[in-house]
Amino acid sequence: MSTTLTRATAAAGHPRHVPQPNTARRTRRPNWPAGIASVFWLVIVVVPIYWILITSFKTQANYFSTNPFVPPTEPTLDNYRLVIENDFVGYFVNSVIVALGTVVPAVLFSFMAAYAIVRAGNRSWFLRGTNWLFLMGLAIPLQATIIPVYLIIIRLRMYDTLLAIILPSIAFAIPLSVLVLANFIRDVPKELFESMRMDGATEWGTLWHLAFPLTRPALVTVTIYNGLSVWNGFLLPLILTQNPDRRTLPLALWTFQGQFSINVPAVLASVVLTTLPILVLYALGRRQLLSGLTAGFGK
Amino acid sequence: MDRSIISRRNFLGLTAGAAAGVALAGCGSSGPSSGTGGGAGAASYWFLTGAPGEGIRTNSVNRFNKDNPDTKITATTFQNDAYKTKIKTAIGAGEAPTVIWGWGGGTLRSYVQAGQVEDLTSWFDSNAAVKDRLFPSSFGAATIDGKIYAMPCETVQPIVLFYDKRAFDKIKADPPQTWGDVMDLVPKFNAANIAPFSLGGQSRWTNMMWLEFMFDRIGGSEVFQAVFDGQQNAWSHPASIEALTKIQELVKANGFIKGFSSITADSNADQALLYTGRAAMMLHGTWTYGGMAADGGDFVSGGNLGYMNFPAVDGGKGDPSDTVGNPGQYLSISAKATAEQKETAKKFFATAVLSDAEVKEWIDAGAVPIVKGTEGQYASSKDADFLTFVYNTSANAKNFVQSWDQALSPTAAEVLLDNIAQLFQLKISPQQWVDNMNGVIGK
Amino acid sequence: MTALAPPAPRRSPSATASGGRSGSVAWMAVPALAMFVAFGVIPLLGVLALSFAEWDGIGQIRPAGFESWRAVLTDPGLPHALWVTFLVMALSWLVQTPLSLLIGVFLAGRQRYREILAVIYFVPLLLSSAAIAITYKALLDPNFGLGAGLGIPLLTQDWLGRDALALGTVIFVVSWQFIPFHSLIYQGGVRQIPGTLFEAAEIDGAGRVRQFFNITLPQLKYTIITSSTLMVVGSLTFFDLIFVLTAGGPGDATRVLALDMYKRGFQANLMGPASAIAVILVLVGLALALLLRRLGGRDGGASQLEGA
Repeated sequence: MSTTLTRATAAAGHPRHVPQPNTARRTRRPNWPAGIASVFWLVIVVVPIYWILITSFKTQANYFSTNPFVPPTEPTLDNYRLVIENDFVGYFVNSVIVALGTVVPAVLFSFMAAYAIVRAGNRSWFLRGTNWLFLMGLAIPLQATIIPVYLIIIRLRMYDTLLAIILPSIAFAIPLSVLVLANFIRDVPKELFESMRMDGATEWGTLWHLAFPLTRPALVTVTIYNGLSVWNGFLLPLILTQNPDRRTLPLALWTFQGQFSINVPAVLASVVLTTLPILVLYALGRRQLLSGLTAGFGK
Repeated sequence: MDRSIISRRNFLGLTAGAAAGVALAGCGSSGPSSGTGGGAGAASYWFLTGAPGEGIRTNSVNRFNKDNPDTKITATTFQNDAYKTKIKTAIGAGEAPTVIWGWGGGTLRSYVQAGQVEDLTSWFDSNAAVKDRLFPSSFGAATIDGKIYAMPCETVQPIVLFYDKRAFDKIKADPPQTWGDVMDLVPKFNAANIAPFSLGGQSRWTNMMWLEFMFDRIGGSEVFQAVFDGQQNAWSHPASIEALTKIQELVKANGFIKGFSSITADSNADQALLYTGRAAMMLHGTWTYGGMAADGGDFVSGGNLGYMNFPAVDGGKGDPSDTVGNPGQYLSISAKATAEQKETAKKFFATAVLSDAEVKEWIDAGAVPIVKGTEGQYASSKDADFLTFVYNTSANAKNFVQSWDQALSPTAAEVLLDNIAQLFQLKISPQQWVDNMNGVIGK
Repeated sequence: MTALAPPAPRRSPSATASGGRSGSVAWMAVPALAMFVAFGVIPLLGVLALSFAEWDGIGQIRPAGFESWRAVLTDPGLPHALWVTFLVMALSWLVQTPLSLLIGVFLAGRQRYREILAVIYFVPLLLSSAAIAITYKALLDPNFGLGAGLGIPLLTQDWLGRDALALGTVIFVVSWQFIPFHSLIYQGGVRQIPGTLFEAAEIDGAGRVRQFFNITLPQLKYTIITSSTLMVVGSLTFFDLIFVLTAGGPGDATRVLALDMYKRGFQANLMGPASAIAVILVLVGLALALLLRRLGGRDGGASQLEGA
């Protein structure tokens, strides 16, 4: 269906359109300034990451006595072993549950709301008001509302469950998601909506068959952003859970933080293990995500 | 249209997935204070993570539970900073654990004023044996307005002047006995490319230790006592200006390692400066001894680490045996707990806290528990000299001043740390410091 | 049947721009609204109520009228916090937007090596703020960090101890963490630009730079607005990283509004004033979001692709 649309759009407005990939014009002259700048940025990005990696293989003893950028002469897996022994897998599973349980509803609800706001926001006071409400929600500081949220969770008898983390996370993810998604949905040409309508599609159908494929980049962005916020979120799990069985990965860093000092190499090993799964996910998924990005608009 | 069926299926699939995830999240409890099973007297106890304390506290709880299977204590651990946030939120919502671990002083006072902790004075009167075996100085931070609201426990952690003997050998000098000696040593060490003092200034409370000693050495313990008691303008004691000025002199003379405001104490970077030979001396808590022994290679085991009490200040009125730091840690009982839970907690205090077994564990971990008469046990420990030194310093100190940021109310403590940081960065004058601090007395 | 069926109700002759009747879509916003009201708006009302009370977080909540508001509005710390917040906001926008734009455009290209770079560039966003703060605190240590390790004296400054340097450090680290996110937004935006525009320009002889300024930038207008809104409003509630990195220091040089609020509430036990600051934060955020929408053109419904 999306390919039909593509060709329809193409035929309608672009008589000169020749369906070929963008790469044709770019390979003519190599872009030196871009290349050099990209190396520069690469260095800035990689140096701290490199430091994290090599330090995670050092012991606390030789952490200060060796040059911070020289790999350890006797690398040790002790830190990693320590992390895994301390119930890393349990924390990981909890984090996955919380992330999925938050991101799926949050993106779904936000997508529906963004669609409604774009499609009928001009004529419905209800939708306009909702839009304003979400805009206001962009700047609600979590630290301030954490105590009322805490009290609500206790009244609902949800304290110390993963649900207690999930529900407020969904709520806090909504304003930003709606903003980004609404802006992308606005870019869908009105003619396409009209043609869907004339084909007899319901709004719900239009949502899934038109808006959904065409807003893929935004949906991906929003999913990634919310997923990361929840994955690394610290305050909600801290306040709303207690039992070590319910802890998420950010709290796993505690194991290596004493009253006065941190076991830096162990903390870094924990950071590496926390980050690696999502990095792999991103690397694998990026191809998939981007292959969908250009199917949208008839380029 | 089959497309809409697929999309509906997708939608249902998504919802089912989300619901499954949510269902896995399980049913919850009605609050942190509800016990996780066990009888009516089952109590809860929250404390900090981190070796060696975490293990030792857990062992004591296990011993108690073995002896009292009907009234078990459930322990939950939290990291230091996280604990401070968590306990406050829990108490504020009326969901505190039965046994509250804490630092006494100003925080305890705020609990007392909010009616959240039990008055234990009468309990101690009727259980004199429990009270008498502990250091008397440890009760200072547990006493608010004449009544005792917490059981002192665990270890004493005075602040000590550590030094690198190799550095002193290099410039052929002796460790300072007075403040005058300190100022003399500063240019000598700088000339030899060794920073006189290591300091993790980014953490702010490290700077505070200097002020605590200077005020006490120059003006005696009465200066801070007046502040603690909430007297108006208590900071305007003449000793204050003198102490603050001397500290700024030390900063201006490059007494502290360059860039100290960017050095963090929690990464142990300040300790590393000492054992890698880049700094000659360091004023720090006794808890750093274990860290330096473990991470410093042969620094400690090779006998290069020296330690002494803070030197006297010429013309100062304070007793040179005074010390500052943490006179102990403190366990309080939540006032909102049930009667049975309170009984369980009190039994725990009487039988399991600082039992002989626990005392031995602390000593083996290289710490000095606040129990009288344990001198003999240190001789056999591998850190005999250090532990004996700490024990004597603490037991013989005429006054043991609690760390100011623990002794003061949280509101005042925040202002204190901010001002201390600015003083060390030479951004405010001593008089401004005094005025700012006077403004928050009693808040 | 010979009679013509009446036109289906949906084919309404008034071809309004948005199409569809409001009733048939309004329900779609309900789930989001419900969640947000339950866990966002109601707690916010709770915070508003707290700002009219006096509470130390553990005792009784005492109604106190405008006391907390007066204390906050007359405290010289508040204008300073607002100023620092504004500085952080403006400077991080100035640093992040051009860089994210350029990187986003760069990564939207389809060369193979750019894909590998895209994965590496993304890593800073994956790290938690606590991890980043610990890392940078260690790297900025004057004795054991970057400067000492690489032997570059220029990097051995008192980064966290001097006001301007601390502020610069905060902005750098924040940018380091969030540029991947904004460049992702821009990547998506660039991918949506029809290739025909570029081809036409190429045929007309426009070089890369001309194409960038005359095609890419204008087409990215709404993307820039979106990204800027997120950046600006996001920096208002920015807390975790600054808290662990500088704790507002040195002194109060990096004490942004969210940090000020946290310190008053959780560290100094003044929940009333802290709640007042929270309300101020929300209002400022709303004002900024609306301002940016206004800047982007009143008719948010117009599409950028008309005429493409």
